[in-house]
Amino acid sequence: MTRKHYGGRDFGTQRRLRKESFFKFLMAASASLVLLSLVLILVIILWKSLPALKPSMIIRNPGSGYYLGREGGILNAILGSLQVVFGATLLALAIALPAVIFLNNYLRRKSWLAETIRFSLDVLWGIPSIVYGAFGFLIMITFHLRASLLAGLITVAMVELPILSRALDETIKLVPSELKEATFSLGASRWQTATRVVLRQTFPGLVTAVLMAMGRGLGDAAAVLFTAGYTDKITTSLLQPVATLPLAIFFQLNSPYPEVQQRAYASAAILTLLILLVSLASRRLSHRLSRHKIR
Amino acid sequence: MNRPSRLRVENLNVYYGQNQVLKNINLDLPDNGITVVIGPSGCGKTTLLKSLNRLLDEQEGVRVEGRVLLDGQDIYQAGADLTLIRKRMGLLSQKPQVLPMSIYDNVAFGPRLLGLKDRKVLNGLVEKYLKLAGLWEEVKDRLQEPAARLSIGQQQRLCLARGLAVEPEVILGDEPTSALDPQSSRNVEAQLLSLKQNYTIVLVTHILRQARRLADYVAFLYFGEVIEFGPASEVLVSPRDSRTRAYITGEIS
Amino acid sequence: MRVIGRFSRRDRGPGLATAPFAIFPVALTVVIFLALLMKAWPLLSLKALPSLLFSSTWLPSRGHFGLWPFILGTLWVTMTAILLAVPVSILTSLYLSEYAPVRLKRIFQPVLDLLAGLPSVIYGMWGVLLVVPAVSKFLAPAFGRQSSGYSILSAALVLALMILPTIISVSVEVLNSVPLALKEAALSLGATRLEVIRYVVMKKSFPGILAACVLGLSRAFGETIAVLMVVGNVPVIPRSLFSPAYPLPALLANNYGEMMSVPGYESALNLAALLLLAIVVGFSLLARWYLVRISRRSA
Repeated sequence: MTRKHYGGRDFGTQRRLRKESFFKFLMAASASLVLLSLVLILVIILWKSLPALKPSMIIRNPGSGYYLGREGGILNAILGSLQVVFGATLLALAIALPAVIFLNNYLRRKSWLAETIRFSLDVLWGIPSIVYGAFGFLIMITFHLRASLLAGLITVAMVELPILSRALDETIKLVPSELKEATFSLGASRWQTATRVVLRQTFPGLVTAVLMAMGRGLGDAAAVLFTAGYTDKITTSLLQPVATLPLAIFFQLNSPYPEVQQRAYASAAILTLLILLVSLASRRLSHRLSRHKIR
Repeated sequence: MNRPSRLRVENLNVYYGQNQVLKNINLDLPDNGITVVIGPSGCGKTTLLKSLNRLLDEQEGVRVEGRVLLDGQDIYQAGADLTLIRKRMGLLSQKPQVLPMSIYDNVAFGPRLLGLKDRKVLNGLVEKYLKLAGLWEEVKDRLQEPAARLSIGQQQRLCLARGLAVEPEVILGDEPTSALDPQSSRNVEAQLLSLKQNYTIVLVTHILRQARRLADYVAFLYFGEVIEFGPASEVLVSPRDSRTRAYITGEIS
Repeated sequence: MRVIGRFSRRDRGPGLATAPFAIFPVALTVVIFLALLMKAWPLLSLKALPSLLFSSTWLPSRGHFGLWPFILGTLWVTMTAILLAVPVSILTSLYLSEYAPVRLKRIFQPVLDLLAGLPSVIYGMWGVLLVVPAVSKFLAPAFGRQSSGYSILSAALVLALMILPTIISVSVEVLNSVPLALKEAALSLGATRLEVIRYVVMKKSFPGILAACVLGLSRAFGETIAVLMVVGNVPVIPRSLFSPAYPLPALLANNYGEMMSVPGYESALNLAALLLLAIVVGFSLLARWYLVRISRRSA
């Protein structure tokens, strides 16, 4: 058989392979660049925070003269952040859960209503949290509230709602329809199917979604900037202002005193640690909880 | 056989991590004929096929020992030109894998990689190989359409044409008809039969009747070992080994 | 309302009870939009929209509310960030999906997850500590410029780093969904891995990677605190990458809630918020429309 068209030539293989190694080098280089700069962030925060990272940071409120560099801690902001996030996540879950159940059990997948709801969740997901902050402020003044734990957690709940709903929606979609049919054929109603089988099946996904939303809520500064206010005390009522970690970092960083700036770094390390814990917890829990899941 | 055949396998061992998948394979794959590899699923047929053009290299944790000789050259030796080796062996996979481009570009893909740019020559090649694969009449008016619009049987013949267009010496087929309807299967089988004068064809299948229709030589693979290898008339009709007999009579599958 | 079949009697109650919650997101979207529009209306009824958008005079005390510097600031910062982030993310995700050994992938994934979840204030802090000095001491002099470091380039670098983890995670997922058998088919025609990537993998994954980039873009548009900390916040028309800027989110963060005394100021800020909302919604609509078109064409 003749191989006249390109037989016997060298096909430029050497050139092609050189090109490949060049691009492979480029790819490896940019991957290392990404990994390096990301690791650098963590290292710098830890390194900068070490001098100020004392136990008093997490067990004391800011004392008098704290912002001039005297003794104190940021217990108020740690507790405040947790108050805001737990409240917000509960509120968001209370809306997202029934919404997603309705969406997946009472509507056809392609019905216009289901499409509209999913689309609006996408839009809400894309809205920057600073816009939620502005909207939360507008709600506040409409109802004559002042900046408070309540206003802050409502705003953060709006930020978390689309994250939570979309994540729940995705996990519920993955429930095999055979499982639902099997339950229906035992005489269960849609509601019973949804609450006793579908929810149990998706419980690990639910936990992951909740923790993901909490992580987002913990770090969001723009949403609480106008709505939560700030205080040096521990908040005991929904209508009092509340301190939050991101704002604590932000304010302390703007201080001219180096001691206070160092505390900002320490606060950042604490916030990072909290977020790391949340994401680790979500990994561990979703692993533990998937025991009852039918695969 | 007097002179050594084009494609030979010597003492080939393949490991996936701790698992040995192929055990000491020795095969002289005859030129210009169809060698069919049969055996129960999971016995290493596909692995054997992929070891022939070093596709195994693309998977992580795979270790290959031994030699695969193509015209006397070990394709596993250091510094061997992978792209050239693969160009010399066309592969037909279980499901047709058309590239995400037009019918024309699918066939021209290989030649273009090899540096062929002349549009006229390319046109000629595309026509020639589509004809060789028995697809020309069906697609000659729609060469610029996406290949994904073809029926699955046409797609497999397009893959055949695409493989032939790089002018390989060996054609490797990994159950190439398993995803096709009976009519398309017969079509592809007919093409393979008409190609065998010019190519060394190695075909993996689990359909015994297909082996009977196509095979000049048969290798029976069982748990990673070649149990029996010889002319189809011997292996399929009067096997020497009891395990081969059991497989052929349908006792094991 | 189109609802599956007919509910059994037992189902009617829960169905009706959960329906309002499902409508809530739709209502919230509409209410946010209307509330901002209503609050921006006093200004919009006084001046034509184009004169507000394209005027570059921002003097609230004298009643000049030109948003153009802020719009340009947002565009400069976001676009530069995207230009920096996209090539690096695509190269990185290609490396991770096509070349990297399994052990490296196992290290990368959790790091990416963690960094996608890091709060913006921390990225901003990192920017102040490292990027701003680097820009003022090395990058600007290297181009023969003077800069305080609080500049568009610093903001873009910080922002690029923030959106990298998101774009990479999504892209890697998209790239991994290209079937191995397809890559093998191209390889056995004698293609190098790079040629497989270029002609097969990238072609198959293009819509998904584009979606990943749009996701990164919409996050970049709305990012507030991190940008605010490094961008300088000067309401002028930006001249170069080394000059400061004042993006819309920063404008809101610095002034919203404290603008009651100056007439028209409140309206102007709500208009800015509305604008930001419209840009982001516009982008998600565009991406959605494009993806629907792509999936229809390939079907």
